[in-house]
Amino acid sequence: MNGIDITDMAIRNYITIDGQPIITNTVVTTWAIMAILVAFSIFVVRGLKAVPGALQLIVELILEGVHWLGDSTMGRDKRYFAPYMLALALYLALANLTGLVAVRQPTADLNTTFALSLMTFFMVQFFGFKAKKFGYVKGFFQPLPFLFPLNLISELAQPISLSFRLFGNMLGSVVIMLMIYMFLPMLFPLVGHLYFDVFAGLIQTFIFVMLTMTYITLAME
Amino acid sequence: MYAVLRFIMDAGFDWLAEQDPQALILAGSALAAGIAMLARIGTGIGHGYTAGKAAESTGTNPKMVRQSTFIMLLGQAITETSGIFSLVVALIFLYANPLVGLPEAGLVVVASTLGAGIAMIAGFGPGVGQGYAAGKALEAISHRPSLQPPVVRTMLLGQAISQTTGIYALVIALILLYANPLLY
Repeated sequence: MNGIDITDMAIRNYITIDGQPIITNTVVTTWAIMAILVAFSIFVVRGLKAVPGALQLIVELILEGVHWLGDSTMGRDKRYFAPYMLALALYLALANLTGLVAVRQPTADLNTTFALSLMTFFMVQFFGFKAKKFGYVKGFFQPLPFLFPLNLISELAQPISLSFRLFGNMLGSVVIMLMIYMFLPMLFPLVGHLYFDVFAGLIQTFIFVMLTMTYITLAME
Repeated sequence: MYAVLRFIMDAGFDWLAEQDPQALILAGSALAAGIAMLARIGTGIGHGYTAGKAAESTGTNPKMVRQSTFIMLLGQAITETSGIFSLVVALIFLYANPLVGLPEAGLVVVASTLGAGIAMIAGFGPGVGQGYAAGKALEAISHRPSLQPPVVRTMLLGQAISQTTGIYALVIALILLYANPLLY
């Protein structure tokens, strides 16, 4: 095999206990993103003014974008989801863009994406049950009672497809960028980063947030 | 009938048994990498359909050239996803196949490699389906340009859902490669 080391594609473990990875490079990147987002939030909120400055204007635009998306997907009465959706979108956008600074994206690790999709899954179940009580459970036996196993499987397949959609795209970015750096190290990585990190990363962020909104709305209606 | 089948099977596996197991795995990887790329047929059809619809929508509504081109490129980029999954699996076969050099090398490993490649053919369907969705979105905005944002949003959502089949194929291919339960 010429040239490519499989360890370039693998996730690096910093600390392992009994052979189980505890802290990996993707976890450390996630901490860094969390710190950046928390610091940024505190910095922006401290300086809030009635007449917004440039930074506050940008943040308000992002917030209004999430509100517009939420209003048209979930309905205006479900605005209390907006904080979660905005946090999710900001985290995913930053996480997908870390490929630009030659760090393995946290979202190219199945543990991250599966944790996020499990959060969506439990939110769907919780808010569905809260909104419709036993009508929600009855929904699993619709349209015919013996279709219950099929309904259950399709419900359980939701987090799997949600997590692997993001993971597959980001793994694709990791593998293909590695190839481009091996064989075409001049100029071409620029185009690759633009497509696989910026475009695919932001589109997948949008799709993850949109699907979370849609699943929750479908369960509540 | 059974005797004939038996004869073919015997003849088929005789020459296989004479080969070096490691060489068989490498041959399987090569074949699987090629087979995985078959999914690109679907992506090609989807791209073509989207491009055709973009041309049609430009003809229907010449003022919408820019939007049509934008949505065509957006839709095609999403359609590309299944092709990218296939490409990734093929590249893993070629450069970083984790099954090469396994101590218990044998027919199971060869079959796993081939199976992972064959699984990726499923990307054919999402390629066609996503291209169709993008084409229909183009048709819709040529008739109702003011509805562009909701149409694009619905298109993206539908394309993400039609991607699911291809994602399951990717899941199976990755399981066969990295967490194969059939190997002891």
